Amino acid sequence: MRTSFKWMSLAAAAALMVSLAACGNSDKDETTNTDNGSASTDKAENVTITFQNIYPDPNTPSYKIAHQIGDQYTKDHPNVKIEWDSLNTDQQKLKLKTQAASKEVPDITIVNPAAQMKDFVDAGLFAPLNDMLDQNGLKDTFQEGILDFYSFDNNVYALPDGNNVGVMFYNKKLFEQAGITATPTTFDELINDVKTLKAKGITPMVTGEKDTWTGSFLFMNVLLRTNNGPGFLSDVAAGTKTFNDPAFVEAVDSFEKLVQAGAFQDGATSMDYNAGESLFKTGKAAMYYMGTWATGAIDQSDVGADVGVFKFPTVNGKGNADEYMLAPGSAFAISANSKHLQETKDFLNYFMLQYPKVSFDMKNAVSVAQKVEGDFAAAGYSALQMEVAGLKGAVKGGDLSFDNTMNPATSQAHLTSIQNLFVQQVDPASVAKEHQSAFEANK
Amino acid sequence: MNALKVPARTIAVFVLPCLLLYVCLVFVPIFFSMYNSTFDWNGIGVKKFVGLDNYVTLLTKDNVFWPAVRHTLMFAVFSMLEIPFALYLATLINRYVKKPNFFVTSYFVPVILSVVIIGQLWKTIYNPASLGGMLNQVLDGLGLHSWTHAWLSEPDYAMYALYFVALWQYLGYHLLIQFTGISNIPTEIYEAAKIDGADGFKADWFITFPLVVPIFKISIILAFIGSLQSFDMIMVMTGGGPAHSTDVIATHMYNMSFMSSKFGYGSSIAMVLVAVCLIATVIINALFNKVEKKIG
Repeated sequence: MRTSFKWMSLAAAAALMVSLAACGNSDKDETTNTDNGSASTDKAENVTITFQNIYPDPNTPSYKIAHQIGDQYTKDHPNVKIEWDSLNTDQQKLKLKTQAASKEVPDITIVNPAAQMKDFVDAGLFAPLNDMLDQNGLKDTFQEGILDFYSFDNNVYALPDGNNVGVMFYNKKLFEQAGITATPTTFDELINDVKTLKAKGITPMVTGEKDTWTGSFLFMNVLLRTNNGPGFLSDVAAGTKTFNDPAFVEAVDSFEKLVQAGAFQDGATSMDYNAGESLFKTGKAAMYYMGTWATGAIDQSDVGADVGVFKFPTVNGKGNADEYMLAPGSAFAISANSKHLQETKDFLNYFMLQYPKVSFDMKNAVSVAQKVEGDFAAAGYSALQMEVAGLKGAVKGGDLSFDNTMNPATSQAHLTSIQNLFVQQVDPASVAKEHQSAFEANK
Repeated sequence: MNALKVPARTIAVFVLPCLLLYVCLVFVPIFFSMYNSTFDWNGIGVKKFVGLDNYVTLLTKDNVFWPAVRHTLMFAVFSMLEIPFALYLATLINRYVKKPNFFVTSYFVPVILSVVIIGQLWKTIYNPASLGGMLNQVLDGLGLHSWTHAWLSEPDYAMYALYFVALWQYLGYHLLIQFTGISNIPTEIYEAAKIDGADGFKADWFITFPLVVPIFKISIILAFIGSLQSFDMIMVMTGGGPAHSTDVIATHMYNMSFMSSKFGYGSSIAMVLVAVCLIATVIINALFNKVEKKIG
């Protein structure tokens, strides 16, 4: 009796160990065709494609677009099943990093352009998509130059879902209330407008500075002007300039003037991106600097009909207002280790070919990274959407955001440094020095 | 152990699963972090061995680390200071309230709320008056306009605003622990003391406090370790900002590992945190052993 009990407990312990070991090996292989006898002749092998995406909210156009295309594809290809791994942006970033550390990247995932995807590409985690881009003429659907942001050594590694620029959204009604008749074209006018709005008790500008990239995005636009054109960060990276350059110091100085004029809402640094944006969308603030990806959401908000956009003004007479902060969208990449590499490529090929058409039908095509056929106005796009489309038509180049250009460690130092400007006045030269030392320490 | 008359082998078999689980979940990650902390590694690509460089940089060159340590230790000190208060509150409830369960439960409510909810709640309370912040509106209403602040956005106040929320949340937790400790003291002792003329505060001082020392110790250690590991509430409320002014060791570790992609460096911060926790626990234990011996 006692010995049998002992054996049973031993067995139980052993079972536990085995199950523990099994936990480590989470790579469930549900898709492999177990019927190996006919595998080679079977033309419709069952395939599951894991599609990690950042479209968790069924009410947004991006969710509807992705699912409509995906559903259509699985209808046409009954052997293909798509497993949606929908997460919000931050979660997805974390999850992908964790997965990348154990080399278990999902079949399709989402990455940000340039510097933000470089680590993944360097680690050989993504499959080059050149061959797939040549199929069905997919390459030609993309706007000129956009794929460069996702290319390394002449290989394209990801396909963008959007192409955005930074613009200033403004609430026409609140401008009227404050007696401002024209949108500012110089930085001094902008600061004057801020003061006028402030005097009327209207919050001039909002930003969700808890997330830090928001303020940096605006700051970088100031720098784009004071540098008299794009390329400051690449010059720094190439060693031909340093952050101590007068253009950078001037940008910090101008940005501080804006903050000191009381442009931003109180407590901006403890407010996240969504909270900041909703202040603007509920008509509690007059201006909002953001990428054009926000157009759809603003358009559909209560103040949508009153909102217009204007170009970021020139600073101290410098810069060209038709140069913008460029924000090539998040992009779809395919895992190099995907079990069904060909099937995944075929699906993504179809997905991207359909993307502009379906987006157009869903009234979300203004910021698509591909060429869109069709007349926005005739399709009933709103005045705001048309205005944004008009601005985008006249874009004459620009810069990528800081964290898309510099490595993550330098970017973090920059983001915090800019956040600090929101809460205290700092000597611009010391901000520049702080940037330079962070850059050198993380080269 | 042998009082149970069970062979050591059987004990081993029964202990094994739990031990394995514990080792897997606690020691393996710690050793893994220790190993990683000797590399320059972005978490994805090639690891480059750098020996103790990460620790050297952390301890000598990192401008964020030492303030973060200070914030963390202050956090610990404040939470420990709260415990005598919780104990006193518990004695009062125990003595003057006939059916104390209701009180204790209501004090406990914040503990069961999710940190995210508490964070959002207090963010709204701390908001500037223009955005409907309750605290500032109350101050305004009392004519104390000069006392109003953007509590979470001003570097001088943000950290204290966070300490306060943590104290508020965990008061009920420690109160419950202390209250249980006090309730377990036999009433005969108090009756005997009453005959000897010890009543009220005197009874507290000579009977209650010495007898709850072991419970008090548990509370202190929990508060200390808990505040060293504080992370979630800060992440929700300020994210360590503005400009690192509310960074603690754990948020610094997170930012370095995940935001700056310096996994090796982040791991070295984690190791320092482990070391601080272990040392602190040993010190607190030693101190209390002395105190207990003195009383006993």
